[in-house]
Amino acid sequence: MRVSLRWLAEFIDLPTDDPAAIEQLLAGLGHEVEGVERLDIPFTGVVIARVEAIRPHPDADKIRLVTVDRGTGSQEVVCGAWNFDEGAVVPLATVGAVLPGNFEIGAREIRGVVSEGMICSERELGFGGDHEGILVLEGDYEPGRDFTDYLELPDVVFDLSITPNRPDAMSMLGIARDLGAKLGIEVREPEISVTGTEPATALQITVEDPTGCPRFVGREVRGVTSGASPMWLQARLRAAGVRPISNLVDATNYTMLELGHPTHVFDLDQVAGEQLIIHRAGSGDTLQTLDDIDRTLDPGDIVISDADGIISLAGIMGGGPTEVSATTSRVLVEAAHWHPPAIMYSSKRHNLRSEASARFERGVDPNLSDRAAARVAQLLVDHAGGEAAAGVVDVYPEPIEPWPVELPLALVERIMGVEINSSEAADFLTRLGLDVTGTDPLRAVVPTYRPDLTRPIDLVEEIARLYGYDNVPERLPLGTGGGLTPGQKRLRLTRSVLTGAGLTEANTLGFMGEADLDTLGLPDRDERRATVRVKNPLSETEETLRSTLLPGLIGAAQRNVSYGHPTAAFFEIGRVFRHEPSPIDKRVPHQPLHLGALLTGPVADELGGPVRPYDVHDATALVRALSHRLGWDDVAIRQRELDGLHPGRAAEVVLAGESIGAIGELHPAAARRFGLSDRVAVLEIGLESLLVEPEWWTLAEPSVYPPHKFDLAFEMSADVPAGDLLQVVRSELGSELDTAEVFDEFDLGGNRKSLAVTIVIRAHDHTLTDEEAQERRLRTIEAVETSLDVKLRGA
Amino acid sequence: MGQLEDILASAPERVGSALTIDDLDKLEVELVGRRSYITEQRRALGSLDPAERPRVGAQLNEAATSLAGLIETRRAALEREAEDRLLADDRVDMTLARRTLRQGTAHLVTQTIDEISDIFTAIGYRIADGPEAETAWHNFDALNTPWWHPSRLESDTMYLDYGDPGDEILLRTQTSTVQARTMEAQPPPVHIIAPGRCYRTDTFDATHSPVFHQFEGLAVAEDISFGDLKGTLAHFAREYFGPARRIKLIPHFFPFTEPSAEMHVSCFSCDGSGCRVCSRTGWLELLGCGMVDPNVFEAVGYDPDVVSGFAFGGGIERVAMVRHGITDIRHLFDNDIRVNEQFV
Repeated sequence: MRVSLRWLAEFIDLPTDDPAAIEQLLAGLGHEVEGVERLDIPFTGVVIARVEAIRPHPDADKIRLVTVDRGTGSQEVVCGAWNFDEGAVVPLATVGAVLPGNFEIGAREIRGVVSEGMICSERELGFGGDHEGILVLEGDYEPGRDFTDYLELPDVVFDLSITPNRPDAMSMLGIARDLGAKLGIEVREPEISVTGTEPATALQITVEDPTGCPRFVGREVRGVTSGASPMWLQARLRAAGVRPISNLVDATNYTMLELGHPTHVFDLDQVAGEQLIIHRAGSGDTLQTLDDIDRTLDPGDIVISDADGIISLAGIMGGGPTEVSATTSRVLVEAAHWHPPAIMYSSKRHNLRSEASARFERGVDPNLSDRAAARVAQLLVDHAGGEAAAGVVDVYPEPIEPWPVELPLALVERIMGVEINSSEAADFLTRLGLDVTGTDPLRAVVPTYRPDLTRPIDLVEEIARLYGYDNVPERLPLGTGGGLTPGQKRLRLTRSVLTGAGLTEANTLGFMGEADLDTLGLPDRDERRATVRVKNPLSETEETLRSTLLPGLIGAAQRNVSYGHPTAAFFEIGRVFRHEPSPIDKRVPHQPLHLGALLTGPVADELGGPVRPYDVHDATALVRALSHRLGWDDVAIRQRELDGLHPGRAAEVVLAGESIGAIGELHPAAARRFGLSDRVAVLEIGLESLLVEPEWWTLAEPSVYPPHKFDLAFEMSADVPAGDLLQVVRSELGSELDTAEVFDEFDLGGNRKSLAVTIVIRAHDHTLTDEEAQERRLRTIEAVETSLDVKLRGA
Repeated sequence: MGQLEDILASAPERVGSALTIDDLDKLEVELVGRRSYITEQRRALGSLDPAERPRVGAQLNEAATSLAGLIETRRAALEREAEDRLLADDRVDMTLARRTLRQGTAHLVTQTIDEISDIFTAIGYRIADGPEAETAWHNFDALNTPWWHPSRLESDTMYLDYGDPGDEILLRTQTSTVQARTMEAQPPPVHIIAPGRCYRTDTFDATHSPVFHQFEGLAVAEDISFGDLKGTLAHFAREYFGPARRIKLIPHFFPFTEPSAEMHVSCFSCDGSGCRVCSRTGWLELLGCGMVDPNVFEAVGYDPDVVSGFAFGGGIERVAMVRHGITDIRHLFDNDIRVNEQFV
């Protein structure tokens, strides 16, 4: 909300006019200042003048010679506008005046006649506006006075962000009250008085929905003439960011800005039957609102009908036909209290947010409605020539009374951490307009303009606000825990192993579409097809939560390819979602933590050295590195054909016999579908069962005896995994095995291959003799040949 | 004996002019080898007068030792020169990045989460988490958000096609859900920091992302006050943004705290005098906080007459972007390697 310092001054005498100081005061009260604007006088040398005589220009048809009284005497100016007559009051830019745009007025000869000044239009004075003619002032203006005297300038405007709990602060008066409470300064309430004239109004108002509309006040003002509001009033509206429209509409806006209570004016002659019915819309009801949009209503909407049907979406926007216009002469002023949730619901649903709805949804003071209606009537009498009809229709079946709240002082100290004594606390609350009695507990009666104060804790906040958050001393309490859980530590270690291995952590949005799973080539039975759909997705391609990290990682790779970086080595750790109950809360879907990695594109290990593509071996190397660093002794790689992966380059990652993930290369067809031309090595494993502290390891004392080394070359079917071969070697040689590594693999043709293994053994208690070493060698060969379909080469 | 003196006199120059090990080897043979003058003289010692023998023998020994020393010194020098030549040939350009030890980076979001978590675990907090796909109860009701609050609308919150209609499952819009989860699961006292992913129906622009991360702090005990909140946040600000930071709390409104505040921290770039980083205000708006509303305690079964507590929630991206001069949040979700590799 925009708050004008000049307007504020009507209600409160602030001890300072320094904008920075006032900004700090406002912020300290919880009214965040989003901007401070200085409104300067946009011109000099413009005075009020009255048109005394008009005569034609002797040599031109389209311009006239106008004699004006400028207070200090009369003079003649040349004028090209025709929208005024003798007697009109106009702004006159005298010789030497400077108008916006640094436009200096001098004596100017126009077709043989010297014009000593210029009568100005709104636009020439910098008020904008689209009037072609000059600005004709209506009301009380004294010829000769500087025009700026009527413009409420200069001014400073604070653009405040009012929190949703403070309906009262959505007005000049409310802000004045808050400042007054903070500073302990008296606030002057505006004088509102209006005298009714007989005959009394014949308005009929029926409230069928007292929940939606606890109070409805209607007043009639007759004989109004639509026109411009006085300049000072227009200036105040402009300062507050509201465009002046006409004296009729301006009266409602002025009242809303001043008091915080929105009102509405109907053209009473257009209200069928001079009756209003307040009710809930029926399903399918429609209303064309003022913005020319046909709106379909529902029972959540509160509407106002006349005898012919719905005329207004209550508290939000009216319909066209009953709106006031240039020809309106009888006005019905509406000041109602609407149920905040209903307004919030409707304004959000119809996407219609207005100054009025912003106030109603916070909760306008129900006991202000009569004053607001009177204020509008008063303005219509003062500035639109109206006459208020006697009689006020006030439908308020269950008046809302101020309510008491009891506040034990101990609560204040417990919550604030500062001791506040009874009289201090009572003083703060009294300054805020509460009626306080008692000492401990304090008994405070809350005015109805503060609907946010219903509980003791709410009063604590008010005391803290006036005491000043800045004045509460800081204290640093210590928690009773600290440190990371084993799982949290291991998650960090996982990440550090991966980054140390050259992978970059990705952060992807976590949505995907079924199409991504199609592109991956996953069949219907795949568990990743059990997705959780978003009811209101961001887009069709992001209609489900991710059931796998792969689409996100693939997307990251694609994007880098498009940026000219064909090499990608990414990992991501995040939750995936499955359409099955979560073990932690069966109401929500299962959302296990996964680790995904993707490596693709050319990579060179040495400058000028061979460039190779990232491939599945980089992925298996990662698993081995992770297993080693994290002590995943039970994690193994089990070669399998897996959906979506290259049939010959895919494996399950197995923990204690159970698959916890997959590793491989994307099926080349799938990679192509994703637009990736290189091999795409991927890895995805469930982390939950891995983020546990492994048992403490105990040192395996290294042998002090010399090693024996021997190489064995085996021939076998190309399908036999090297891992199986090494596994047999390991279990056969047991603790005497130092290392067993494949150092050569080659294709023998005919689906046969050769694997050469180098084995180092040593005993822990003596030097192995050559005979013993030979015995181990033979045992190893026998074990391998017996367990696997493998033959020693050259044997 | 004149010949021996000649040999000794000419030896230094002769040895010195041996330019290769080979030359030196030959000279060694000539000077002290089997057929050298000195060796022959030694062999002939037996034919000398026994009275002369010791003197001459000593002379010869001394000469032999001297010559051997000269030769060894020269040999060492020649060997050193040879190695120096080899090493000169072996010179490399040390500034050339011939081999690469590829190192990746953890994401800035993760780094920030870890850094903030560490600040709080160091003062006795535990790191807590909760589900991202959450019940509306944990995301709204337990946090004192009325049924009609607009943040519940689909224009703000993403709902999931899952579970009992009565449970209304959604993607959490705030990590404050972890407050409720944690308090449901354990009795007070509670000191937790809960970093994690949140989701809102926002369209991507420079300052909004439909997915973002928050960190939620919660401290509940018998005597937690607003002063504790201030001290804790000031500690956080100093740890994260530097020891000279000051904070101020500005009254604000949140449904789940009362009193509520927004925390501002003095700008780390200009220390409060106003600069581009802080839009010339001298302060950075950082997070929302306040004293846990009694309704929240009641929702999770804590007695607000016995315990009090504070909570705060901030944006991980927000604090990281402020600190690292990132003006577009999309950089944190784009995974452009040229950006991510800067997350050191």
